[in-house]
Amino acid sequence: MANRRPFTDILADNLPKLILAPSFLIVMICFYGYILWTVALSFTKSRMLPKWEFVGFDQYVKLLNNDRWGVASENLVVFGGLFILICLTIGITLAILLDQKIRQEGMLRTIYLYPMAISFIVTGTAWKWLLNPSIGIQNIVRDWGYTDFTFDWLVNSEMVVFCLVIAAVWQSSGFVMALFLAGLRGVDQEMIKAAQLDGASLPTIYRRIILPSLKPVFFSAFVILSHIAIKSFDLVTALTGGGPGYSSDFTSNFMYAHAFTRSQMGLGAASGVMMLGGVLAILIPYLYSELRNKGAK
Amino acid sequence: MAALTIDNVKKSFGTTQVLKGINIAIEKGEFLVLIGPSGCGKSTMMNSIAGLETVTEGRILIGGVDVTHASPKDRDIAMVFQSYALYPNMTVRGNISFGLEVRKVAKDERERQVAKVAKLLQIEHLLDRKPAQLSGGQRQRVAMGRAIAREPKIYLFDEPLSNLDAKLRVEMRAEIKKLHQRLGTTIVYVTHDQVEAMTLADRIAVMKDGALQQLDTPQHIYDRPANLFVAGFMGSPPMNFIKVKIESSQVLKIEVKDQYYQLPLMTDQLDAQYIGREVILGIRSEMITEPLAHKQALPYVKTLSLTAIMTEAMGPDTMVLAEFAGIELNCRVNPNYKVVLNQPCEFMFDMSKAVFFDIETKQIIEQVS
Amino acid sequence: MQRTSILEKLLRLGLYLILLIMAFIYLAPLLVMVLNSLKDVEEIRSGNLLALPQNPSFAAWSKAWGSACTGSTCEGIAPFFINSFKIVIPAVIISTLLGALNGYVLAMWRFKGSELFFALLLFGCFIPFQVVLLPMAMTLGWLGLASSASGLILVHVIYGMAFTTLFFRNYYVGLPKELISAAKIDGAGFFLIFWRIVLPLSPPIIVVTVIWQFTQIWNDFLFGVVFSGADNLPVTVALNNLVNTSLGGKEYNVDMAAALLAALPTIIVYVFAGKYFVRGLSAGAVKGA
Repeated sequence: MANRRPFTDILADNLPKLILAPSFLIVMICFYGYILWTVALSFTKSRMLPKWEFVGFDQYVKLLNNDRWGVASENLVVFGGLFILICLTIGITLAILLDQKIRQEGMLRTIYLYPMAISFIVTGTAWKWLLNPSIGIQNIVRDWGYTDFTFDWLVNSEMVVFCLVIAAVWQSSGFVMALFLAGLRGVDQEMIKAAQLDGASLPTIYRRIILPSLKPVFFSAFVILSHIAIKSFDLVTALTGGGPGYSSDFTSNFMYAHAFTRSQMGLGAASGVMMLGGVLAILIPYLYSELRNKGAK
Repeated sequence: MAALTIDNVKKSFGTTQVLKGINIAIEKGEFLVLIGPSGCGKSTMMNSIAGLETVTEGRILIGGVDVTHASPKDRDIAMVFQSYALYPNMTVRGNISFGLEVRKVAKDERERQVAKVAKLLQIEHLLDRKPAQLSGGQRQRVAMGRAIAREPKIYLFDEPLSNLDAKLRVEMRAEIKKLHQRLGTTIVYVTHDQVEAMTLADRIAVMKDGALQQLDTPQHIYDRPANLFVAGFMGSPPMNFIKVKIESSQVLKIEVKDQYYQLPLMTDQLDAQYIGREVILGIRSEMITEPLAHKQALPYVKTLSLTAIMTEAMGPDTMVLAEFAGIELNCRVNPNYKVVLNQPCEFMFDMSKAVFFDIETKQIIEQVS
Repeated sequence: MQRTSILEKLLRLGLYLILLIMAFIYLAPLLVMVLNSLKDVEEIRSGNLLALPQNPSFAAWSKAWGSACTGSTCEGIAPFFINSFKIVIPAVIISTLLGALNGYVLAMWRFKGSELFFALLLFGCFIPFQVVLLPMAMTLGWLGLASSASGLILVHVIYGMAFTTLFFRNYYVGLPKELISAAKIDGAGFFLIFWRIVLPLSPPIIVVTVIWQFTQIWNDFLFGVVFSGADNLPVTVALNNLVNTSLGGKEYNVDMAAALLAALPTIIVYVFAGKYFVRGLSAGAVKGA
């Protein structure tokens, strides 16, 4: 009896693999292959074009001694921390407030979320005007009579990072709110009813039952927000251009500047690798704890 | 020639062996039920017959043709799923004719088939509806219609009634049985509900841990279960098991601490080698009843005093949970028989259908022929 | 009970007040841009950003569209608008299609190694693109696609494919597996099942994916500024150039009009289809591992 399968059947059997093959190649080359390439490049002396002369960790040493890189990294950490914290706070607060059976919930939600649809370039440009001392908020408040009011953070090299935080929070907090709102809606109603029967007040219910059950949403939001923070390039370019000077530079702008406009490919590559390291430093513990939780279940 | 032959089929997932050498052969028109507890391998067996899973070893033959390596569409089978698996975006008509469409059956032939099936299952008025607009029972019918329209050699049913409520389940069970009688199709039916198995099957295959425990007609499985597992699994309430000692070819003794009771044996129930040894007695609840006058004189009947713990009125009889010497037994009595809880009460043991199991092998001890 | 109801009413009022103030804060920048795009430059410089325009006019808008200077050319942002569409539309279509097929395979035709591939893909969603810019630029050069629209489309497809696959796979995993088994027994093969059964069930996730991809690619700046050439700059790059070109003094009204024009497509998509996107989010399109 026929135990050998016809060729068309074998082809049909392997169709899924064939379909996935191109994407597989793309991922291996354009994601992981390129990373390796950039890592390799970071160990070379490349300037305007790649030059495969290996110089060990030279570029990294240069990087660590580079003043601009220092500023950029510090900016990223400060920005990242504030951005994530404020977004999470505003996000969950708005979500809780919106969850209280508001009549215009749909419209409010649309308003809070629309900034996410806008390019960071547009956001940066808009806030550039609002934060501009001569025509923006400082000017408006002074016009209202408070002639001593100053809000010139945008041109102050110490405070300019906070301008970036304001713009970024404006853009992304609505998204965090949407995540938390979905999470709140998914909370088990029976658990809440049981707590109410037990005599718990509304704030207590939120604090002891609802918030803890939103832990996964916190984590997802944290991961997504840190990803946005590390990638921030467009916002800086539009809002401050890295200035004044390079006091509001971020690592991503540093990388772009050195790799493409200042003909320092090796250094640029090294900075790119450092950025990847930053992402991994957050991602790997997160994945590890996720896997551990799944294993424990 | 057998309609379906499962020849020493083994299946492993990685290092876990899920099917340990299954041998089954069924004739054309036979209704075979695969039953067993969760994890026994019955669903894997079903999927292997369908071709949705490959087998690690062994062969599967349908109508004498080796289909072990054939894909599902080349096996000439149809399947009814537990969740019906109707295509949500197609109408009932579309669902039923999809398989025919794929096989490039001509349009008018397809329409004929759909009409025939719809008439048979009384779903003509539903043909233009989508699955979401149907009730559970109606979806069940459409799922069967989809299978019947293809007129396959074998029908596979994978726990089709599990998602229905109790009343509907009873109705659909009768429908399936009537269909089988009308169409004379070969059916393999998986279920975990032994009432379904007993009422529908021509033969039942009881499975446990990937191995076939017994393949026999429902009545035989009920009367002569092959081992302790089958005995305890089939029949509701479960069979009563008591550890006893065989005193002689006519008497057995139940001994607990310093009390003992005796029950009679029929002459050909046990092989002589078991005299003086311990075995497990299996006796069904309908064999422990209230004392019946017309049976008093029979040699294989004995009345004992038990203490009733709990009663359940079932309607036609009353189930009594009674105990003696720490052993709990399910008994069936006439609803009018007065039973006082926690008081001793008389119960009559009819040993004519008692079965015995070897304590070590757990297998049934064959009757002396 | 009267006392608590007054307290409740006050709290309720406070709640609405906070929400309204927040709504104003979120709308403020948009409002400012619209108001000031209707003014002339002198009015902006001497006045107040929040003041209403005295003689509202669309002069700034038409200048932004057709004659503003974006670096070396002064044709407004209209040509770049068209560039963006030329890039976005093919990129969205291709990356969505790829994502659908990949998601279909990963969810319903799993094989040894397919889950590993999914993990690699998921991980890939998180890499900062800075780390692939240089090799990608080199590769486009080798392929002769440097500074071309096709090159930029290719880049968007490659890096968008990770997200689209994620969306579709997470969605398809929620479809009942028995549906596929039934179709296999009915005799349907890989493509027939996709075409007749899976795809008709996909509209919700297709909408989510298309909206996401359109927004991401239209709003992209990094890939645009690195990989496009002077004759196919997307509108985000053009906008940045326009705003930073200040020959003869900043024309704030034109700049704002230009920014609004650049943001218009994605805002329109959001206003009309946003609720489907949020539904998709809740359904777990972005759940991750």
